[in-house]
Amino acid sequence: MPTTNASPMSQRRRSLLLAAGATLAAPLTATAQASGEDIVIGGSIPLTGVFAFAGVGINAGIGDYVKMVNDAGGIKGRKLKYVPEDTGYKVDVSVAAYKKITSQNKVNLYYGDSTGFSKTINPELDRAGTTLMAGASFASELNDPKKYPNQFLVGPDYTEMFGILLKHIAKEKPGAKVAFVYSDSEFGRDPIDKSEAAAKALGLSVPVKIMTPAGSVDVSGEVIKLRRAAPDYTIFHGYILAPIPEFITQGKQQGMTSKWMGTFWTMDSSTVMKMGEAADGFMGVMPYRYYYDTEKAPMLEKIRALRPEYQSTAYIQGFLAAMLFTESAKRCLDAGKPLDGKNLKAALNSIKDFDTGGLIGVPITISGNSIPVGRVYRADMKAQKMVAASDWIKL
Amino acid sequence: MRIGTLKESYVADAALFDSRTQKVWLAVAAALLLLFPFMASDYWLYLACLVSINVASATGLNILTGYTGLVSLGQAAFMGLGAYTVAVLETRVGTPFVLNLLAGGLVAMLGGIVVGIPSLRVKGLYLAIATIAASFIAHFIFANWKFTGGTGGLSVPPAKLFGLPLDTSFRLYWVIVPVTVLMLLGAANLFRTRVGRAFIAIRDRDISAEVLGIPLLRYKLLSFGLSSFYAGVAGGLWAYFFRVVTPESFPLLMSIFFLAAIIVGGMGSILGGILGAVFMTMVPELLKLVVDLLPGGNELTVFLSPVRTVVFGLLIIGFLVFEPQGLAEVWRRIRRFFHLWPFRN
Repeated sequence: MPTTNASPMSQRRRSLLLAAGATLAAPLTATAQASGEDIVIGGSIPLTGVFAFAGVGINAGIGDYVKMVNDAGGIKGRKLKYVPEDTGYKVDVSVAAYKKITSQNKVNLYYGDSTGFSKTINPELDRAGTTLMAGASFASELNDPKKYPNQFLVGPDYTEMFGILLKHIAKEKPGAKVAFVYSDSEFGRDPIDKSEAAAKALGLSVPVKIMTPAGSVDVSGEVIKLRRAAPDYTIFHGYILAPIPEFITQGKQQGMTSKWMGTFWTMDSSTVMKMGEAADGFMGVMPYRYYYDTEKAPMLEKIRALRPEYQSTAYIQGFLAAMLFTESAKRCLDAGKPLDGKNLKAALNSIKDFDTGGLIGVPITISGNSIPVGRVYRADMKAQKMVAASDWIKL
Repeated sequence: MRIGTLKESYVADAALFDSRTQKVWLAVAAALLLLFPFMASDYWLYLACLVSINVASATGLNILTGYTGLVSLGQAAFMGLGAYTVAVLETRVGTPFVLNLLAGGLVAMLGGIVVGIPSLRVKGLYLAIATIAASFIAHFIFANWKFTGGTGGLSVPPAKLFGLPLDTSFRLYWVIVPVTVLMLLGAANLFRTRVGRAFIAIRDRDISAEVLGIPLLRYKLLSFGLSSFYAGVAGGLWAYFFRVVTPESFPLLMSIFFLAAIIVGGMGSILGGILGAVFMTMVPELLKLVVDLLPGGNELTVFLSPVRTVVFGLLIIGFLVFEPQGLAEVWRRIRRFFHLWPFRN
């Protein structure tokens, strides 16, 4: 039988191993390196994965605003530093990105990529108390300053988006029948129950609520159900694009006269235009102006000068998030307070009748965790543009 | 250089670790695991905990798929069962976290046994499809039952050990890693027993196994149960780690992740499960670190992010093509090289 004999390692091999060990351990010890006086905006940004279509725009929006502020000398002489990290729209990777960025920088402000991430990181934000966070999520659950004291939404939450649409409908056609079509997901179900009650309070009726599997393609059964209810308006929520075009095309073929509506993530100009001719007149709620809006908006002009090609509403969302981050930091510094989560949030909540340079058409006030303002836009397929269908609606 | 291994008894032959070199290296690894939290930043600690949870779950799947030959795409659902059990017990009952973890494992085990029943009739891809059903049923229950918090899910308070809240990666490390090590030792020892050998016999030829006196019903369901127990405990750890459990936390894609992990790592090898889970979790992060090292800033990051995911995909395919037996085999080859080094390579 063979025998065991573990020979002693040679000197060279030992030193090689030591060197390898040291190389491996080096990045581990690279802990919090305070980045001077920079004000750091970290970001879990979905540059890949299913949400990349928005993530790339968000990233560019934040990056551009940070550059603008820095080019103008920063905030009270302090530069902004934007540190993004790709997440692939996965919560565990998002949290890893957060840990990585916060390990290497003293992060004051953070942009999160999903509702799941916002909920997951919340205990950590509360524990650390160093950071104010906004993100791509408009989940109604996050609109609770008690539960989420260090976060805010860069616009109305989903229930408020429905509220804006319902208010518009109640004004346009009192007593109208409104159908809700939504996906079977946390995103889709979010505003439904509360919005049904809100519709009733506005004198509207909800004859049918249709839940479809997220990503469903064949919706012919659902369209028949919808046609039977004969709604005056149909609001889609919890989708980006599919199956909205199928619903509209089949609905119109079956003689439906409903007006069709969507919420923020469906409402980017490029998304709506993909719906094709059938979606002419498609409406929805948008908290920001579109890139090509002609109304007076100095900040939009700056954006257009910086980027001559169309920028998505996700870009505007990221841009505005960075603007509100900066304003909060500025107010904190003006008051001589340290930049921590509590002070930054208090500074954010002190924003009253704030001019966003026309990104939002009316001055905004952030008293809680959201900005409950929006406007109804309508698709003009001939002009390939979204045009305003209402004035700005405040809840 | 090591020439061979002398084994003078059956006990020695069945021992988990057979040489002094191996024991020394294991001691070094254990010491590194002990020292790691004091050397590493929060980011690396977070990744260590995540890898550890994934290793536990992948090992569970390895027992079922790698050792018993029953393909399952329900691992994420069983993790979900464990995570929800822990979340419910922690928020509504307030029992100690060790009990909650065990309960999570047991509930998942029961779920696994039920889902495993079709395995008596169907094998291979058919069984995989049958286990997918588990994912959908679990998702439906989690999303529609008020008790589990509906689509919003449940927030989990931190686990407490002697009154100390385990709310940081550093503190959780001392729970997650030891539990995983225990589970790994359990799995490794399992295959030194009659039960483990029965699993292997079933994998190699179930009809022959039955002829040899192995009751298929009992052992297949036992394998499902054990595998789900591992997933349940891993899910429980996951719940304490992420502190929010929602129906969307455990998608079908996660089951595929674990299946990929054991295939890449090496099916039917405990080390394979470990290496596979480490590979699948860490390589995307390491690729990011490589991209970070390149000059070019934000614009380059945007450009290289999709490239990175393509590289990750190619790496997986590369491993499968050039080493179908997985990373465990690569590891064995490296070990063999050093056994004979410097005389032959």
